[in-house]
Amino acid sequence: MSQPLSLSVIVPVRDAGSTLREVLAAIRTSELPRASYEIIVVDDASTDSSVGIAARYADTVVKLSGRASGPAYARNRGVELARGEVIAFVDGDVVVRPDTLPRMLAKLAERPDLHAVSALHDELPAASNFISQYWNLLLRYGEQRHSGRCAQFAPGCGAVRRGAFLSAGMYDEWRFMTACLESVELGERLLAAGNGVLLSSELKVTHLKQWSLPAVCREVWRRSRLLARSLGYVRMRRAAPSEVVFTLSRMLTPAIAVLGTLMLAAAFVPPSHTIKGVVVLMVLLLTNLPLHRFYARARGFGFAILSAPLHICVQIVSGVALCTGWILRDVLGDVSPDATTQAYSEVGLEIWPPVPRRL
Amino acid sequence: MSSAGVDAILFQDSLSSRMVAPDDTSEESMQHDRIAGITSNSPTPRRTPRRSVIVVLPENHVVSPDLVTDRLPAEGNNEVVDVILACAGQPHSIAALQRRVRDIQILLAPAGTSTEDLRELAMNQAPGDIVTLLSGSPVCA
Repeated sequence: MSQPLSLSVIVPVRDAGSTLREVLAAIRTSELPRASYEIIVVDDASTDSSVGIAARYADTVVKLSGRASGPAYARNRGVELARGEVIAFVDGDVVVRPDTLPRMLAKLAERPDLHAVSALHDELPAASNFISQYWNLLLRYGEQRHSGRCAQFAPGCGAVRRGAFLSAGMYDEWRFMTACLESVELGERLLAAGNGVLLSSELKVTHLKQWSLPAVCREVWRRSRLLARSLGYVRMRRAAPSEVVFTLSRMLTPAIAVLGTLMLAAAFVPPSHTIKGVVVLMVLLLTNLPLHRFYARARGFGFAILSAPLHICVQIVSGVALCTGWILRDVLGDVSPDATTQAYSEVGLEIWPPVPRRL
Repeated sequence: MSSAGVDAILFQDSLSSRMVAPDDTSEESMQHDRIAGITSNSPTPRRTPRRSVIVVLPENHVVSPDLVTDRLPAEGNNEVVDVILACAGQPHSIAALQRRVRDIQILLAPAGTSTEDLRELAMNQAPGDIVTLLSGSPVCA
């Protein structure tokens, strides 16, 4: 019979050919005996060379055909095959350090009250362009300020005890068919079930993904809309304060309040559009000051200045998306898959790849 | 050339009957048909995933049959698992494995092909939805 493994590393991928080699090679250099862990790559209907690259490093490769079903679905398929006592999820664009996975295992071994542990983004994202640096540092800022016990099971790299993961119901593959907040939602369920969830500032990973302005805006739009429509803003803010949407909106909310007050006051003074414009800008910049001080420390004063207008733009996208999500929730209700998937699920169709499961 | 950068030949069943007739065009065409058969991805939906096991044997490596049979379904289970043995050069001591595993497919790559290239080559031939990759161990001196 096969020996029990201490760790199963699951890597969901979708057209990750450009980064997967580095990601899997990094896992293989972990300071763990090779026989003590397995690597399972779940390919979510890639059209590039991801499967071939996965074969070079992985112990098991799962090939999902048809249309993409999302990382939540892919990770669940990986867990169904996993033999480890602890399951680690590493994204296809995240590079672990040699000590990341061993330290995660050590933390779980040291503390029986702890059931899931995640790593933070480091301050040195691989992509050197301005937008990638801005976005990765923003994620890092939120995680750094709110690391510790929370419901944030970080999507990039996290480990969870197999028993806790299965009892929590696994990832919600029914509602999260794209990469968006599925780990935050899982973290909240783990926490609600009485499990210890830790976002550890001692564990760091590097993100390889290159971001562009449209990609960042799309990501912010999707996350904010889904958070408002499906998960509940207030509840999740309490449970997972390091989520990037809160990092954006926490500073936007007081800015809107101050601006509203100023606009009201402006109605009683003679109009001077230039002064009003400067005041509005100053208020926005002041509310974002802690973040810009962080940017200045990490990348210098010039970077902090350049990121200011970009950050305001991203905050506006987030604000509009949150409002859209709330309206959609009232009009359409919670998110759900397309009608065909719902019909297949209703009749209990047995097929491979399986129909997404409801929680 | 394959995507892994080396050419390879796929055989099915016993090595001896296939390896001695490389010039036999009818045999080659039969092999081609077999290869086509196992690599085609049928569009017909399946109820359960198809499984493949790849055993990678670089030069001077052997595999224990137990390692492979551990990953195969137990007797009485009707699940079909494709077993592909990917070898760099002539494989050593695979008779025991062939006795234990029926319908084994053997992928012969040139001697010196790296483990990673063998894995990728074999993956290109594996029809399974779930593919398990196993590695042999070096031959003891």
